[in-house]
Amino acid sequence: MNLTVAVWATTGAVFSIGLAIVVVRRQLLAMLLGLELMLAAVNVSLVHHAELYRDEQALAVVVLVIAVAAAEAVVGLSLILRLRRAGVAADTAQLRELRG
Amino acid sequence: MIPPEVLLPVRILFGAPVAAILFGFFVMRRVKPEWTHLPILASCAAVTASSMMLAAYVYAGKGFDQPVMHWSVSGDWGVSFGLRIDGPCAAVLAMVAFVGSLIHVYAAGYMKGDPGFSRFFLVFHLFFLAMIGLLTANDYVQMYLFWELVGVASYLLIGFWYHKETARAAALKAFLTNRIGDLGFLLAVLVMISVFKTTRLQLVYFHIAAGRLELVSLIALGLTWAACAKSAQWPLYFWLPDAMEGPTPTSALMHAATMVTAGVFLLVRSWPVIEAVEGLPHLIAWIGALTALGSGVIACAKKDLKRILAYSTVSHLGLMMLALGVGKVGVAVFHLVVHGFFKAALFLCAGNIAHALHQSTANVDEVGGLSRSMPMTHASFLLAACSLAGFYPLGGFFSKDAILDAAWHHGGALSALSLLIAAVSGFYIFRMLFLTFFGARPEQSRDARFHEAEPLLSVPVLCLALGSALVGFAGGPVTRILASGWVMVPPGSPVMPGDINLPHMNMVVALLGTAMACVGAAGAYCATMVFPGWDWRWRGGRVEALIESDFGWKIVVGWFAAAARSSAHVIGVLFDHKLWDGFLESLPRALGTGADAIARAAQGRLNDYLWWMAAGTALLLGRVLR
Amino acid sequence: MGNMPPEMIVWTAVIVGVLAVAFAGVMLLHRSLYVCSVCLLAVLLQTGVLFLLCGSPLVAFLHIMIYAGAVMVLVVVAVMAAGSDGGRFSDFSFPRPLAWLGLLVALMELAFALSKGPLLTTAVPSGLEPANLGAVLFKQYALATEAVTLLMFLAALAVVPDKEAA
Repeated sequence: MNLTVAVWATTGAVFSIGLAIVVVRRQLLAMLLGLELMLAAVNVSLVHHAELYRDEQALAVVVLVIAVAAAEAVVGLSLILRLRRAGVAADTAQLRELRG
Repeated sequence: MIPPEVLLPVRILFGAPVAAILFGFFVMRRVKPEWTHLPILASCAAVTASSMMLAAYVYAGKGFDQPVMHWSVSGDWGVSFGLRIDGPCAAVLAMVAFVGSLIHVYAAGYMKGDPGFSRFFLVFHLFFLAMIGLLTANDYVQMYLFWELVGVASYLLIGFWYHKETARAAALKAFLTNRIGDLGFLLAVLVMISVFKTTRLQLVYFHIAAGRLELVSLIALGLTWAACAKSAQWPLYFWLPDAMEGPTPTSALMHAATMVTAGVFLLVRSWPVIEAVEGLPHLIAWIGALTALGSGVIACAKKDLKRILAYSTVSHLGLMMLALGVGKVGVAVFHLVVHGFFKAALFLCAGNIAHALHQSTANVDEVGGLSRSMPMTHASFLLAACSLAGFYPLGGFFSKDAILDAAWHHGGALSALSLLIAAVSGFYIFRMLFLTFFGARPEQSRDARFHEAEPLLSVPVLCLALGSALVGFAGGPVTRILASGWVMVPPGSPVMPGDINLPHMNMVVALLGTAMACVGAAGAYCATMVFPGWDWRWRGGRVEALIESDFGWKIVVGWFAAAARSSAHVIGVLFDHKLWDGFLESLPRALGTGADAIARAAQGRLNDYLWWMAAGTALLLGRVLR
Repeated sequence: MGNMPPEMIVWTAVIVGVLAVAFAGVMLLHRSLYVCSVCLLAVLLQTGVLFLLCGSPLVAFLHIMIYAGAVMVLVVVAVMAAGSDGGRFSDFSFPRPLAWLGLLVALMELAFALSKGPLLTTAVPSGLEPANLGAVLFKQYALATEAVTLLMFLAALAVVPDKEAA
């Protein structure tokens, strides 16, 4: 048992659960949270491998990913709020038609 | 190039009827339907004049065969719409135009007040136009088109009083029978295209003359079959007697001028093809002789006036076929012309009688002793009947004598048969004459309504009757027209145009023929005047049943019709309705089910799409990482 | 971690990973969005610890700060503002054992951090210098960094309500 195994197991499981949340759950908010889970799992894996290979670029990517994830969360949440204010349930069961 | 001296008549020949029909349809029918006949009668006059000019042109020894326009060209093959003005065309065209125009005039009086007056005249003229097109065609495909147009117009006219069940049935019968015949024509044309790569008459003649005889028997048989249907010969004659359901002018036009002559004309046109087949002329002669005798006998027993005349037409067409079959093309055409006159006159007389009763036809039981109340009709009928029976010096004598002579020279059973036919035709026409115009019998109801027809009805009849009396002297000109117009025929070609000369008067045959006609007429006198009730007394037995069934042929036709109907049932109900329609109707349902199944995958649910996205990514990753 | 044997680091990572997976599982299965967001917070905290254990205190610090500090607040506010349906809003029933577990873990980690904290930041043997990270970010990845900055700015604009919505 070493650190790589633990990190792989953890990140794999968390990523899968995040994917499952995104695919299975119908509330948009919950799907957003699932996305955050997936990103965090990827980040952990990246950091570990950056340490393993002594590569600063991976760390830089992690920083950028954190920033993008924050931005994505902000945009997603504001979209959900906007939907809510427009009187539409933030639920994929009801959000089925595109209007263009 | 059409020769400039006949450019105008040729143009009028087609332009006038087309213009009259279009004008009548688009203007007169809307504005003043009861005047629809006026432009059409004008067109008839123009057409008659131009056909006479064309006859004179051909009489002068000229003629032409000219493509006018190309129609539906595809690749190196196409149908050229052309004109062929030659002997048979000019001779028959002159008769058709003259007789047809007189019948048009008659129809103007006969149909007055009918609710379908304008429709009648338009279709009537279309019939006439189709016949003109058929006669002047220089291409088999073009001829076929007009041939079919004749069939359509006859269908419309026979079923003119469409509220009558019998009229509809008769129209359908005529049309379907003709369709069966047309199949032969179509087959012949198709074989011609595949063998000769052309359907132009002239080129077909050349091919035949050059000895290209592969499949020619198929072509000739197909054409003969088609002619048998159109010209009402056994085995396809049975539609014609039923075609009496239309208005009388229709019957007259159909019997005298347009429809039934088309078959004989087709055979005349195709005579080089027919003659190239061993034994086929002989077959045609026998078909004609047997049809003529059989239908003559049937005509002796009919009670409906128009039906008697219808069977008489079948009989005379049989005589023409007989003349054709023994190789006397000229004789056949001459009889065609003469027959057109006297048969039109006879039909119009019957029409006058029916018109007085306000019926579409009259029965022997309803008439009798009309010579006093309808003297002019009586005179016309007498003249035409004598012509039909073949008494010297009326028209029928010359043409019938020529046929008898041809059969006589052919010898054998045909000569005896032709003499028998002469006697039978004398019998039936005089039986009709005596029953109708002389001495009312107790069995006949005397109707007080009989009166002489108005001039518009009686004058054309009289003209036709006089024509039928005098046309016999036109044998020379007709022969000359026939002989002179054969344009571009290879000189001395053995297959060309058959024997067009009329035989010289043979005293033996002439005396024999006249004697037979006299025997027939005397027999009719005995059966109707000496023993006036005989015509009613002999009926009711097995003989009448035999004759009523046309010697059993109607039963055979019934079998064919039943077989056709049951096969139509199989195709229409079992196959088409149940199998095919069922398939077609269940197809949308199956498609709908399938579409629903597919639509379920794409109903806009985000999660589904994410599933697919995840699956696709996994697939790609697996592909990349391996 | 110089004064922390590698064995211990591994075992700590295992425990932290198991906890993270457990909370993630709760997120997947629980209906209430509140529970979900709280569980997400827990998972993110564990992730931060994992970063630390992997030897990147800077990233761990950034992660905790951004997620626990900013994003989670936004999420909770959004859940409160948008909520789920009215009925589901009330069924806030955080599993009590889970809550105790989370609290316990948080306390333990806090204690761990307090006891070894100063060591942790320096003692983890890292071949990666924060200075190098900065160099990478602003030299090789300068364009990407600029783009992400712009993106964050635009994201900030997204929360500003427009007139018609207001």
